[in-house]
Amino acid sequence: MNNIYIPHKARIASIKQETADIKSFQFELLDPEVRKNFKWKSGQFLILSVFGVGEATFTFANPQTRAEYVECSIKKTGLVTEAIHDLEVGDIVALRGPYGNWFPFEKFKGQNLLFVGGGIGIAAIRSPIEYSLDTRADFKDITILYGGRSPLDICYFDKFDEWQGKKANLVLTADKGSEGWKHKVGFVPAVLKEMKPSRDNCTVITCGPPIMIKFVLKELTDLGFAPEQIVTTLEMKMKCGLGKCGRCNIQQLYVCKDGPVFDYAEIKKLPDEF
Amino acid sequence: MANKLITQENLKALVNELAASYDVFAPKRENKNTVSFGKLQSFEEYVSGVLLTNTTAKDKVYLQSEQLFQYELKKDTVEFKEKAPGKEAVIFGGRPCDARGFDVIDKLFNWSGYEDGPYTGGRKNTTIITVSCEKPETTCFCTSFAGGSPADGKGSDILLTPVSGKFLAELLTERGEKLAAKYSKYFSEAGDAETAAKAEFAKAAEAKITKKLDLAAVKKNLDASFDSPYWDTVHLPCVKCGACTYVCPTCYCFDITEKKFGYLNGERNRTWDSCMSEMFTKMAGGHNPRTDTKRRFRQRFMHKFRYHVDNFKEELCTGCGRCIRRCPVGIDIRKVVEEAK
Repeated sequence: MNNIYIPHKARIASIKQETADIKSFQFELLDPEVRKNFKWKSGQFLILSVFGVGEATFTFANPQTRAEYVECSIKKTGLVTEAIHDLEVGDIVALRGPYGNWFPFEKFKGQNLLFVGGGIGIAAIRSPIEYSLDTRADFKDITILYGGRSPLDICYFDKFDEWQGKKANLVLTADKGSEGWKHKVGFVPAVLKEMKPSRDNCTVITCGPPIMIKFVLKELTDLGFAPEQIVTTLEMKMKCGLGKCGRCNIQQLYVCKDGPVFDYAEIKKLPDEF
Repeated sequence: MANKLITQENLKALVNELAASYDVFAPKRENKNTVSFGKLQSFEEYVSGVLLTNTTAKDKVYLQSEQLFQYELKKDTVEFKEKAPGKEAVIFGGRPCDARGFDVIDKLFNWSGYEDGPYTGGRKNTTIITVSCEKPETTCFCTSFAGGSPADGKGSDILLTPVSGKFLAELLTERGEKLAAKYSKYFSEAGDAETAAKAEFAKAAEAKITKKLDLAAVKKNLDASFDSPYWDTVHLPCVKCGACTYVCPTCYCFDITEKKFGYLNGERNRTWDSCMSEMFTKMAGGHNPRTDTKRRFRQRFMHKFRYHVDNFKEELCTGCGRCIRRCPVGIDIRKVVEEAK
């Protein structure tokens, strides 16, 4: 029987506490054959099994160019995420995927890239950030604007040196600053407005909480960006990831199979249901 | 495909013989007021006069709750165990709208580049022998759909239609032909007269269905009415019980859950779910794109008569009318989609 619900076995190879409620996990697929053939592209997602609790959907945090492990950055939000936060290195989990579409990097060649991330949304754009840095020659300027509620909510401090070393312009902001915080203070959309990015030959990849996305879209539109220049990932409840369980259906689309990556022109055609 | 004849007596003998070697599911009295598809021990238990069983035959292939696999955590690994394939089954005495329901969801479970083994495995193992309807109910509207008829064989392996005191048996698929060949002693050849009589039967039965939806107009109206104030009021009687989705031959949405037996063992299950439930789209963290009944109600009808049509060129409905009969507040799907504007 072609049982598409049986996941690949995996072992937790490392855990890094990023913030009080976000941990980054590296998973090692147990079967060497599966490990060899398990290929994904930036933007796709996987469904992770925590035995005894169930499954939940996560984006790949690392790109295909750094595929030694499967990495996810997971914020404690619900049952499965709480359970995985309790696991330790060496514990057994499982995952299935990759599912969904990916960022169309071939279309972005020769352009400036602007990444705008907020909160745990950074997990979804770390993969395309690192992919673009690993194929650096294909792009012109790479700018990353990343904000969190407070300096303590910012992930990936250990990666910033490398990103900047590969000539990415990194702008950090916190909604509320604190002593010693040398970066911006303010909401992501406000900082974006201040940065005044040029729309010429530029693609924006953004991911974050719905309220941030809403205002980021407004600022970008005010700056003259066309909807086709703005790319994001949609989030809907998913169970199967395979276009069957019916949950992520918006209009004729299924976010799991037609997305999760959409440009703003496509999103504008959809009813306000996500 | 070939047409055969089978007498009442032979049909009884056939079903009894089938029941000895297959799981035969047929309309069977559950209690005084309820007839549902149940496992038949003998033909005597078959209730032939009921058109609309309480629930459809859908759950005989697409189980209401089924195990996807069991797991056992071991040191440094985990073992998965899949359940053994079920016994070969026959669904006997269902109606064309039930059979067509399988045809509709077959496509869903095979699309998007993934064949859903837990569904298709059971489906390939099941032969569907359907009986044409002589006297449709007032809630029936199968003739609204392309090719839909009380005597249509879509989704059936064998379609039985009463003609001149016998049944014309249309063998519609390889599976149907195989079964008829295996039990050929019960069948005789059908002639042109019986085939013509079946056409007459179909014409007469179709004429008894008075409600016919103009599906092109419905689609056009739904395409334009997502933001219409129509949805603000039409949902108001709905009590969110979800019975409509439960009795539907084409509702397929599901949940995946886990049952824990102990620290190391458990199983992953798939269970029917309903878009009428608030939890259906509620995400971890609390965000829910369909927070209220209006949005969920609209989703159900839009999905069935608009979104699914965009993807599959057919409605996610076969016109059985069970949702109309089961709705505790009398919501009529025909009226809801016809009046949308």
